[in-house]
Amino acid sequence: MTRQQILTWIQRNGLFFALVLLVAIFSFASSRFLTLPNVTVILLQNAVIGLIVVPGAMLILCGLVDLSVGSVAVLAAVVFGQAMENGLGLPASLLFGLGVGMLWGAFNGYLIAINGFSPIIITLGGLAGARGLAEFITQGYTTYGYGPEFAFLGNGKLLGVPVPILLFLLVLAVGLHFWYRAPLGRHMIAIGGAKDTAAELGIPVKLVPFWLYVASGVASALGGLIVASQLDGAAVTIGTGMELEVLTAILLGGVSFTGGRGSLFGVFFGLLFVGVLSNGLIQINVSPYVEQVAIGAALCGAAALDMLYQRLERLQVPIDKEPIEPVTQGAGGGQ
Amino acid sequence: MSTTQTHAPALELRGLSRSFGPVHAVKSVSLSLYPGEVIGLVGDNGAGKSTLTRMMAGTIRPDTGQILVAGENRTFETAQDARRAGVETVFQTLALVPGLDIAENIFLGRELLVSGPLGDMTRTMDVATMRRRVQEGYERFGLGLPDIRTKVAGLSGGQRQVVAIARAVLWGSRIVVLDEPTAALGVKQTELVLSFIEQLRSHNVAVIFISHNMQHVMRVADRVCVLRLGRKVFDGQMSALTGTDLVALMTGAATTVEEVKTT
Repeated sequence: MTRQQILTWIQRNGLFFALVLLVAIFSFASSRFLTLPNVTVILLQNAVIGLIVVPGAMLILCGLVDLSVGSVAVLAAVVFGQAMENGLGLPASLLFGLGVGMLWGAFNGYLIAINGFSPIIITLGGLAGARGLAEFITQGYTTYGYGPEFAFLGNGKLLGVPVPILLFLLVLAVGLHFWYRAPLGRHMIAIGGAKDTAAELGIPVKLVPFWLYVASGVASALGGLIVASQLDGAAVTIGTGMELEVLTAILLGGVSFTGGRGSLFGVFFGLLFVGVLSNGLIQINVSPYVEQVAIGAALCGAAALDMLYQRLERLQVPIDKEPIEPVTQGAGGGQ
Repeated sequence: MSTTQTHAPALELRGLSRSFGPVHAVKSVSLSLYPGEVIGLVGDNGAGKSTLTRMMAGTIRPDTGQILVAGENRTFETAQDARRAGVETVFQTLALVPGLDIAENIFLGRELLVSGPLGDMTRTMDVATMRRRVQEGYERFGLGLPDIRTKVAGLSGGQRQVVAIARAVLWGSRIVVLDEPTAALGVKQTELVLSFIEQLRSHNVAVIFISHNMQHVMRVADRVCVLRLGRKVFDGQMSALTGTDLVALMTGAATTVEEVKTT
């Protein structure tokens, strides 16, 4: 292998090996770490973030962002709780909860994707607004006690696997399909990397991000409902800081914040990396305060590596199969 | 050079005019382009080259005049119309996405799906077929490009230009309008693009080659069309002219060379 190929290979798989290394270290330090119950706990703790991360990563690939996820999650949970209080029954209440997420997503999408508002400002407004609305609706009181059927969503198991993990894996599988096997994946890269070109080639540069915002809203609402089910209560604290956890996984996974570049597998490893790091540090009795510092350091480290890779990529010389030109070309991309 | 002028023109412009307010950018320009022919469209700044190009690309509409593709009168309302009619314009911006590879760029926005209702429903792309088609195109046109899975970001300017032109012809466009394809390219890169244009001629594609560079025009063009101040001042065989003649026509130093029509 040439030096370039090695670099590309490291870049593509670096996070995966960092993850393996991390797992190895923690397994060495704690005998309880690499056990089935603990692995299940790690997945369960990150399932909710995980299913919001999938549409979130797609938005960032398009050069957009959704900061309102945590607040939409709590709003959906609270609306569900109110619907249950008012005796609408479980199915209708669930639909209300998910519907709120969908509407909020459509609202974000309409303003940002269709009308070109700033994604950061609008979803920052949603971050404050949706949570405020949730607090207003409940007046700060938590409704609770929704019965065993609803508890199944957050605590149930199918074939021995917790339901939230199954839901996450389902969303991830659909996400991977669209990212790598459907035209959408390429279209998102085009929208995030060269929007004018994408529009010129007839790619729906407004509708794709619009539906991604709707998907993000629905996923956030589902996340909120899962947490409400686990707590058996629609607490107004649901989803606090969720947007940061979602962003951390995505950015650690190597999706460029400016859009146009990234891999959903990377994001999955990013999510696991954060999950393993926080779980492992607790396992080896490190102060929980250090955990946040470690995640922050990992994120900064990932950013620095990304910068380095970009520089290397710019220097990359294309490998000609049948070179027509006798002289090697200069730096790629120079025009 | 060009011998195939017995057929109907692939593209015919009849008396195209376009004004922007008081400025007559293009005044009644007519031009016929035959399959397998390369026409050099030259002119100084402000001669009306870009306006004419944009009318052919469908991004602006002529005030008067007609555009005929294979003998049929066509109206281009949008760039999509022009493309659908088989007239592909490759602008200097190239419309490539750097983050995607060559094959992905060539099929961008027109991805093939796996046939059958399942492929349609799940929107599964037929990646293998797309790659095979691009590979076939490589062989058919003898493209001197790196592997089809190389990201466009890693290509040189000339290679990008070739990818953009290749996309047009692989999609079956028989008429390709190239807006300054060799501008800002080095010697080797220019050679790559020019030899590809010569390939196109042998595949019966009609090419309009817009350029400032007389050497490049003289190298690939069969005919040359000179615009000056919105009018066509010359249209004739390249072989009859020297570079000095061309410059004289462009700048208006020699207006005496009247329309030397090709037969």
